[in-house]
Amino acid sequence: MNRIIEFENITKEFKILNRREGLKGSIKDLVSKNYSVIRAVNDISLSIGKGEIVGYLGPNGAGKSTTIKMMTGVLEPTSGTIAVNGKIPYKNRCQNARNIGVVFGQRTQLWWALPMIESLKILKDIYQVSDEAYKSQLALYESIINVKPLYNKTVREMSLGQRTLCDILAAFLHNPSVIFLDEPTIGLDVSMKSKIRHLIKELNARQKTTVILTTHDIGDVDALCERIIIIDKGSMIYDDTAGNLKKYFGAYRTLKLKIKGEYILSDIIQALELRFLNQTSMVVRTSEEWISILSKEDEAPIMEILMFMQGFILINDIKIEEINTEDIIKKIYEGNI
Amino acid sequence: MMKQGFRYYLKIYGKILVQNIKSKMSYRADFFISLIGIIFVNLSGFITFWIIFKNVPSLLNWSYYEMLFLYGFSLIALTPVQCFFDNNWNLLTYVFSGDFIKYCFKPLNLFFYYISEIFDIKGIGQLVVGITVLSYSWTNLGLDFSLIILVKLIIALVSASLFMISITNFAAASSFYILNSAYFVMMLSNKFKDYAKYPITIFGGALRIIFTFIIPIAFMAYYPSLAFLSNKEATFLTYFTPVYGITFFYLSYKFWMFGAMKYNGTGS
Ligand SMILES: Nc1ncnc2c1ncn2[C@@H]1O[C@H](COP(=O)(O)OP(=O)(O)OP(=O)(O)O)[C@@H](O)[C@H]1O
Ligand SMILES: [Mg+2]
Repeated sequence: MNRIIEFENITKEFKILNRREGLKGSIKDLVSKNYSVIRAVNDISLSIGKGEIVGYLGPNGAGKSTTIKMMTGVLEPTSGTIAVNGKIPYKNRCQNARNIGVVFGQRTQLWWALPMIESLKILKDIYQVSDEAYKSQLALYESIINVKPLYNKTVREMSLGQRTLCDILAAFLHNPSVIFLDEPTIGLDVSMKSKIRHLIKELNARQKTTVILTTHDIGDVDALCERIIIIDKGSMIYDDTAGNLKKYFGAYRTLKLKIKGEYILSDIIQALELRFLNQTSMVVRTSEEWISILSKEDEAPIMEILMFMQGFILINDIKIEEINTEDIIKKIYEGNI
Repeated sequence: MMKQGFRYYLKIYGKILVQNIKSKMSYRADFFISLIGIIFVNLSGFITFWIIFKNVPSLLNWSYYEMLFLYGFSLIALTPVQCFFDNNWNLLTYVFSGDFIKYCFKPLNLFFYYISEIFDIKGIGQLVVGITVLSYSWTNLGLDFSLIILVKLIIALVSASLFMISITNFAAASSFYILNSAYFVMMLSNKFKDYAKYPITIFGGALRIIFTFIIPIAFMAYYPSLAFLSNKEATFLTYFTPVYGITFFYLSYKFWMFGAMKYNGTGS
C-alpha cells in the first residue's frame, strides 16, 4: 500500500448559468435552464506514491486547484474513480481530512486573533495528537527553522510570509500522509521563499510525507520537485521526472546578449525570423538590459545566431545558458514540444 | 469510521472559546469601549421605548411594565445569537470570495467549525441591560420568584434564543443558494428582531400568522413571556416554545449544511 493517491479517468465539469443582461434578463435567469458546461479536469489518471514531492503545474485556469479540491474531498468528480489513502475522499470528507494537510496560499487556516501556539494546541485536540507526538513535532520544527519567536504572535500580527510558514507548520502538525500546497510561495520575497522551500524539503525528508505542490514559481519546482505533472486546459500533458524534462530539452540553449545603444526588440525578432526561416522553437525576450534568445541547436545553432546578430548590432557582452525549467514549461504550455 | 462525539466537540469549543475570550481581554481598551458602546446603544433603544410608552397607559391591555418585561426578555434572548453565532454575518463574504473552502479541510462538522471561530463578547453588554430591565419590570409587576420559576425562566429564555439563532442561520445560509440577494435577506432578518419585543396581538391577521409560524419572532419574547405574567393567559404555543425552538433550529442547521455541501468554491 505505497500508493497515496490514485486517480483513474477523473473528469470534473462545472455547470455555469449563462447570465443574461439587464433586469429582464436576471428575472429570466431565475428559471433559466440555459447552462453551459466547463470541463475543468479532463480524463486524468495518475498515481502518487509515499514520500514523493510532485510539482503540479499548468497555466492559469488549467484545473490545478480543482484537482486538489477533489483530492481533499471538497469536490466530487463528475466521473472516474479516486482514492486517497485507499478511501474515496468526497464520501468521507472528515475522515480524509484527518490524514491530509492543506495549505491554500494566502488563505490562512489558523485562528486569526489567537497566538500561533494556541492555534497549534487547538489543532492538537482537533486531530487528537498525543502529547509526545506534539512535543516531538514542535522540537522538529524548532530544529529546522527559528519558529519560537512566532509562537506568541497572533496571525493578525504576522507578515504574509510568516503566516504561510505557520500555516505549513500547522498543516504538518498531525503528521498527515499527504500535504497539499496550493501556491505556497505566492507573494513572498526571495529569502522567505527559500526558507519555506527548505522547510518543506526537510519535513518531507524526515517524515516521508507526500507533498503535492502547485505553483507558478519555477524556483519551487527546481528546489523541491522530483516529479512534475503538467496539465493544460484540464488535460494532462506531462508526467515524468524533473530530470527527464531537462534531458528532453537538452538541445536547447539560451544566448544572452547585452547590446550597445538603443534597439527595437520587434526589429530584432523580425530579422531573426527572416534569417532562420525553418526554426519553430526560437523565443526572444528581454530582461533588464539583456536580450535572450532561446533556440534549438540543430535548427539554429547559437554560433550562427551570434554571427548574424553581430552583423547589424554592437554587442557588449554575451552569455550562453542551458535551458531552465521555466522555459521548458513555457514551451510545453505553448504546445511546441 | 471514527465518529466524533459530543464530548469531543465540547472540549474543542471550550478551548476555542477560552482563547477567544483571552484574546479579547488582551485588547482591554477595545473591549471596554465596545462594551460601553453596546450598553449605550441598548440604553438609547430603551429610552426611545420609554418615551413612547410612558404616556400610553396600556396598549391592547398590555401595561407599561408588561411591555418592559417583553423588552427585557427579548434583549436577553438575543444575547446568544450575538455572542456565539456572530460569524454568520461574515458568511456571505466568505462564500463570495471563495474563502469558505478553507473550512472544508478540517475533520470537523462544517457548521460547528465555522460558528465556533468567532465569539463576540460585546453581546454581554446587551445581556446586562436585558437583565436589568427584566428585573426592574419583574419587581414592579410584583411577580413571584422562586427557584422553580428561575429554572422555567432559563428554559424559556434558551428556547426563545433558538429562534433568532435559527433565523440568522437561514438568512446566512441563503448565501449558498442566492449569492446576489443574500445581503438583502441578512438585512431583513436582522430587522425582524426589532418586532420581537412587541405583543404579537398588535399585528393584524396575516402578519400574526407569519410571525408565529413562518418567521416565528413571536416566540422570541411574546409567547414564552405569557407563562410568567400573572394577568395573562399562557396558550398552547407558550408551552410549545421549546419543542418548536429545537425543531426550528434543527431545520435551519440542515438548511445551512445542505447549502454548504452544495457549495463548491469559486474559480481560484
Ligand atoms: N466552482 C466553480 N464553478 C465554475 N467554474 C469553476 C469553478 N471552479 C473552477 N472553475 C473553472 O475551472 C477551471 C479550472 O480552474 P482552477 O481553479 O482549477 O485552475 P488553476 O489551474 O488552479 O488556475 P490558477 O493557476 O489560476 O490558480 C477554470 O476555467 C475555472 O474558471
Ligand atoms: Mg489555482
